[in-house]
Amino acid sequence: MTPLASPNATQRDPRRREQVAVFSVGGYRFVISAESVQEIRSTDSLGGTVVDLERPVMQKVRHIVERDGRSYYVVSGCEHFHLSASRPTTVLILRGAPVAVLVDRIEEMAEMRLLLELPLSFRGEERNWYRGLTVLDRNVLPVTNPRGFLTGAELLRLEEENPGLLEAAASGRYERERA
Amino acid sequence: MSAEHSSLVPSFVVFQVGTRRVALPRDAVAELIASPVLFKFPHTTPLVTGVALRRGRILPVLDLGPAVMGTASVAARFFLVVERRIENRSERCAIPVHGECELVAGIMIPPAGTEEFVSGCLDLNGELINVLDLEKAIAAGVRRDEASVATEEALP
Repeated sequence: MTPLASPNATQRDPRRREQVAVFSVGGYRFVISAESVQEIRSTDSLGGTVVDLERPVMQKVRHIVERDGRSYYVVSGCEHFHLSASRPTTVLILRGAPVAVLVDRIEEMAEMRLLLELPLSFRGEERNWYRGLTVLDRNVLPVTNPRGFLTGAELLRLEEENPGLLEAAASGRYERERA
Repeated sequence: MSAEHSSLVPSFVVFQVGTRRVALPRDAVAELIASPVLFKFPHTTPLVTGVALRRGRILPVLDLGPAVMGTASVAARFFLVVERRIENRSERCAIPVHGECELVAGIMIPPAGTEEFVSGCLDLNGELINVLDLEKAIAAGVRRDEASVATEEALP
């Protein structure tokens, strides 16, 4: 058997069940733990202030969005996964990190019963992108790592290149503009 | 050849990648399976074309085409399941193969060519079959794949 991502977990252990959202980007489907998502909004109804980064140091992050007094770096899902441009209609606002992810759409909410380790043959950025793989409806899907959309180092770099912008956006000092 | 003698002669699995016939030591091959459903998702690892699900196990699918043929393989009907050692752990991977696979016994002779991923040759009725060093073949394929990506990126 492929090793489980968590060595303490057993494959059908009901305690390990996890509510997840299945979302799509660029024709691929991904899974994210529902616990790691604070809000799921359509891009049309998001509201709030959108601020362009003064110095966009990475292609996948070009804006900050302010919402309810908090601000988030907006990560393009297709740029993050190096996919061709898509039409995002949904924003995942992550919990515990100033990160919002643009995705094409939410496909379904589901229960994940199995988290398998990403095979060691995978050597690239995906080791950071994914917590592992799961099987839903006989399909193997990658389980995204919420911390992988913007790593600590990337967050630090964004803050260094755009000092104070995140806090300034949150305090509403920027003019409202639509992305 | 006596039974005692034949048990001492190493055996190899001969298979086809693209149009080229190559071999792996029998011990390196776990099984031959009919083309499983291939699941694809974004990643950046060269040669890996996706994963297959086999008896509750995730098998990464590795295309040896870039190493052996210089180009990616076309769709295959069968996959060889091989055992790799990565970071002191074993991992089973599936390799797409074309045409017939054979199990042959023979003595490996020194390689005729200069390809670094060939560990030796088998003489099968006058046909010289290269025996691959799997890890070196994967490393060579990765290098070729990365070189071709770099060339593409350099194009205007």
